Parts: sequence; C-alpha cells; structure tokens
Amino acid sequence: MVANTLKSTALALILMAGLTAQSFAADPSLDLVAPLADYKIYVAENTEQLVKDTEAFVAAIKANDVAKAKALFAPTRTSYEKIEPIAELFADLDSSIDARADDFEQKEADPTFTGFHRIEYGLWVEGKTGEIQGYADQLLKDIKTLNERINGLTFPPEVVVGGAAALMEEVAATKISGEEDRYSRTDLWDFDANFAGSQKIYTLFRPLIADKNPDFVKKVDANFAEAGAILKKYQKDGGYVSYVELSDADRKVLATKVNTLAEDLSTLRGQLGLN
Amino acid sequence: MSKLNKPGDDIAQAGTSRRDLLKGLGIGVGAGVASVIGAGQVAAAPMVGDAPKADADTSAQRVPFYGAHQAGIVNPRPAAGIIASFDIVATDLDQFETMMKLLTARIAFLTAGGAVAMRDPKLPPEDSGILGPDIAPDNLTVTVGLGDSFFEKTDWGKALKPNALDRMTQFPNDALDAALCHGDLSLQFCANTPDTAIHALRDIMKSLSEYLVMNWMMPGDVPQAKPAADGTTPSARNLLGFRDGSGNPDSTDEAKMRQVVWVTPENGEPGWALGGSYQVVRLIRNKVEHWDRTPLQEQERDFGRRKISGAPLDGGPNATERDVPDYSKDPEGKVTSFLSHIRRANPRTPETEANLILRRPFNYTSGALKNGQIDQGLIFICYQADLGMGFITVQSRLNGEAMEEYFKPFGGGYFFVLPGVSGPGDYLGSTLVSAARSL
Repeated sequence: MVANTLKSTALALILMAGLTAQSFAADPSLDLVAPLADYKIYVAENTEQLVKDTEAFVAAIKANDVAKAKALFAPTRTSYEKIEPIAELFADLDSSIDARADDFEQKEADPTFTGFHRIEYGLWVEGKTGEIQGYADQLLKDIKTLNERINGLTFPPEVVVGGAAALMEEVAATKISGEEDRYSRTDLWDFDANFAGSQKIYTLFRPLIADKNPDFVKKVDANFAEAGAILKKYQKDGGYVSYVELSDADRKVLATKVNTLAEDLSTLRGQLGLN
Repeated sequence: MSKLNKPGDDIAQAGTSRRDLLKGLGIGVGAGVASVIGAGQVAAAPMVGDAPKADADTSAQRVPFYGAHQAGIVNPRPAAGIIASFDIVATDLDQFETMMKLLTARIAFLTAGGAVAMRDPKLPPEDSGILGPDIAPDNLTVTVGLGDSFFEKTDWGKALKPNALDRMTQFPNDALDAALCHGDLSLQFCANTPDTAIHALRDIMKSLSEYLVMNWMMPGDVPQAKPAADGTTPSARNLLGFRDGSGNPDSTDEAKMRQVVWVTPENGEPGWALGGSYQVVRLIRNKVEHWDRTPLQEQERDFGRRKISGAPLDGGPNATERDVPDYSKDPEGKVTSFLSHIRRANPRTPETEANLILRRPFNYTSGALKNGQIDQGLIFICYQADLGMGFITVQSRLNGEAMEEYFKPFGGGYFFVLPGVSGPGDYLGSTLVSAARSL
C-alpha cells in the first residue's frame, strides 16, 4: 500500500485544479469530487513509483544482471497492477506493456510480443538478457509515455468507480488460474496489487454508501478481509512465494471471494448514480 | 428500418417494406411467401435473423420440483442436458445450510418459471436475459448430488457419508483427466432446449458465487426419434448409431424404481439419505472414425444388438429393441458373444438382477482433437440405490469387453443425489443438516 497520502501539497493542488477545471465542469456530483481527487493522487503516486522501479529494472537488464532483474520483476509490476483500470484506458500502451503470449498466434515467437511478460520469458525461460535488451528499452519508453498521458488525463468518474470491479474481473478471468506470470510464478504479487487497487477505490467511495447500504459494505469489507487473510499466509520477505505453493483449497476460496467481490462491486457505479 | 408507432403497425409495415425490397430485386412475391394473417396484416417472409419458433406446448412443460425424490432421474430425458461439477466453499454447517437454501430457492424458481425481476438500469441486471423477460419452465430439472470429497472435508461429513459413496477410481480402460473428475457437488440440468439449461446454470453460478467454484462441465443432447410403427417411442441413438437404453428398467414402475434407484431402509444407509440415489457420471469418448470404418456385422457383434432396430441378436426379422434376449439358449455365446456389450452389462441371470441400474445418458460433441478427429461421445449418467452393487459391479463385468477399442472414459465422478424437497418450507439437504446438528 502507498505509505504517504500526499507526496507534496503542490502536486495535490495541481491535480485538484485540473479536476475542477476539466472533469467536473459539466454536471459534477460534489460528493464524488473528493474521492476522485484522492484517487488521482493515488494513481499519480503509483505511476511515479512505476517509472522509478522500471528504470532500476531496465538498468539491471542493461547490465546483464539476470539475478537482479529477476528480483525486481514482480515488485516493479505492482504499481502497474494497482492502477490497471486507468492504465488500460491506453490500449496501445497496455498491449505493448502487459500483453501475454496468449494474445499472439505465434505466442512467444511473435516479434510483436513485447513488455513485461516478454522480458519475464527472457529472464526465466531463456535465462539471459541478450534477447531482451530492446524490449527493456521499449518498456521504459512506454512506461514514461504512460506516466505523461495519465498526468494529462481527466479521470472519468465511471471508469474510476467501475475500476474496483474491473480489477476483480481481471483476477477472476486471467489471474486466479495462474496464467499471468507463468514463467516467474510471481502471480501472487499481482493478486495483491489488484486487490489493493480495487480496495483503494472501494475505500474512497465507501463513505458515500455506507449509511444507505450497511449490509453491502459489511459483506464487501468481510470479503476483502478474508481474501487478504488468505494472501497473507503466502507472504515472505516483503513479497510473495511462488504461485505453485498456493494450495488448491485456498485458490478455490480466493476464487469465490474474487467472484463475489466482482458481483457486488459491479453495483458500485449504480449505487453512486453513475452511468 | 421503417418507423414503428403502434404495436399493430409493425408487422404490416415491416412486411410491406420487405415485399417492396423483393420487388425491387425483381423477385416475385407470391401467396406462398407472404400469406394474409388478418385484416391489413401480412406475414412477412421469414428473414435470416428470425429466431426459430419456440413451441408453446413444450415451453410450458413443468416437472414438479417438490416430492420425495429429486426430479431429473425417473422422468423422461428431454433433449438437452448439462452435467457440471463444483467445489463447495463453505466453512461450517450454518454456511452450508444457507447455501443449500439459496440453491433450493433458485431451482424452485427456475423449474417453475416466471417473470424476471427488473432492477434499476444503472445496476447490472439480475438475470442474464438469454431467455428474455419471462422464463418458461421448458421441462427443466436440476438434480443435486454431493461427492465423496464434500463428506471427507468435515467430521460431520465423514460421520454421515453414505456407506457406498467413494471417490471414483480408475478402471483398466480409463484414461482419466484429473481436471475432469470428481467434485463436491454435481448439478445435472435437463431441459427441452439447451438455452434453458445454460440459463439455469448461469443463474445458479451467479447466485451462489460465494459458495461454488466450477471444476468442469459438459453439455449434451438426446437425439430425437420418430415414433415406431406400433406407436411406441424408441430409445434414442448414441453417437455410434445404436439405440441406447433399450434394456433400462421401467422407470414408470414405482416398485421397480424403489428396488433399483432409490435408497430405502433395506440399503442400510444413514437415515438422512432415504429417498436419495447414487449418481455415476462418466465422460466417455467414442472413437467414431474408427467405429464408422468397422463392418456392420462386427459392430452388431460387439454391441450385441442390431444397429437399425436395436433388437437383440437372437430375435427374428421382426424383433424389436424391447425383446429380451434368451441367453439360456446360447450358453456358449455363439449368437450373442460373451465379449459383447449387452451380455457383459446385463447377463440376465437371477443373481445379476441385483445389479440393475437406471441409465440416463446424453451424447456430447466437443470440438476437434489434436489428431484431427472429432471429440465426441457419451455423458454416461446412471442412478442406483447401491453404488457397489450397481455401476461398479456392472463396469467391472464390462472390463475387457470388445467395445473397449472404441471407448475411452476420461472423466466423471460418483455423487450422492440428495432426497427430494417435500415442500416450500423444506430445502435440499435438510435431512443431512439436521442429522449433522444432532451428532
């Protein structure tokens, strides 16, 4: 989780100014302004972190340090996975940053397969950095572009609020099965980041619905807590153990939590009156 | 499209515009294409996107949900089926009870049919909508069974597990795929149309997302058959082209069903299980390409019946599938081979009467195999009061049968179908929950 709410007051003021001027000119629901501004700060902090981490990750690859690059792979991704609902708004970048081999007919051999997972394949399967130097440069370039674009973005409220459920749909459809980080088996890092990103959105908007729908927030709170408790069992040295260590029983409990959170959080936009 | 104002206008206007279009293409429109169905209304020639017509009579068919036994076992198989296996995520007995009540409520609604509840359009709709705003019962049944793994999870489950229930084990000809075997819960959906079955499956998965994780599923069908010359309905054909089910015990004979299918006090099962039944599911690939290249006389010898009529091999030219073979006159297996499917499955001796089972299978077709052949076969499902005396004994006799060359079982599991739901206040598994509470 992000430690500091605000990196600097100046940053916060700029973001607030941007939001007031752009996104809420039409018909703002005043209640949504504060949580949306907070979320924009959360995203900005994560993209800033992502740029910094990617620089270190890419530097390790450029230095041909496979061990260090492997160690930095999962933690670098977490900032991306936390803000995926926003990052995915830029389909071209999402595809070049986070596509998986399944997205290509020629799988790993496809020259247009780039980004984190192509690099992951290089580090874990090919076991060398020679092939992936170019992909590493491209990744850093893409991440910097993403950062710029997000900083200039007016956050659509329905995308932000809908992001809580969207992250759970991600986990339900492609993460729970262990398809995401198939070479490094660092999937649990992504789970954790997706949960954190979803929970952040939910927590920011929770005060707006808690009084109206106490049963709903009670159930969602409990499901986040239970999913978190299961993930916690697999934490090690500030990160996570391999996906292969996730027991079948825990995977199934997580699947029910993820699906139920997706079901419940899919009503969040409607509960807040968003289209 | 034309502008439509009143409901009565649309048919006439749409009809006119389609006719105009056809005229413009130089195609004549005769009475056979557009027939007058009322004053000022003309039935349009069917268009490519028009839905096939639903049958009002079969859509309205309703199988009673409440009763001593669950539906979907002795009532006739409709044309569509799905078998699905789930794991149950419920931490204690209270959660299990809540889950079973919820499951009961969904099945009671879906099998009765009715209007779909409407929600604020800002929210996701409550229903998938694939059947439209009104759910027709369409002969739907949902049959619920519990697997060995469910009972083995808890102390109360272990104490109350039906005596004969076990984890399905590999038979010599099997090639089981772990991803397609076993499960805590089985749901068998049967309906007149596949859409009704799929709709029910999706409804239950959405409603019970907190408790159920799907392990595997397989949709299947029962091919239609014309009535026989004498007015009787023949058994459906399997994908080998043979009639399947000719030798089934009479499912309309209640006494016979008590003996063959339903758990009664004579079975020595725990009291909560009375009225239930053992369900066996076997996913069996048929090597249809090889089979279709096998001479007819060999197919009939291996199966033990005539292919067209389904009659046993010792019958005359007018014999039917209902005729019973007389093996006492064929002690050396010269007419009906000892390796044939039907003689192994049911040798028709006084001792083997105790091994009768009620088969209720579906055919399946599931895409292409890596070898370029069709993945096609049978979702074998059968019911019996005693798993060991029933399927396990029958299958053990079948080990080594001639048909093994064309069969490859690859999935399935054993389940115990819960007793029926007595009425609106009751729920599936209530006797099990009560028994667990009084342990």
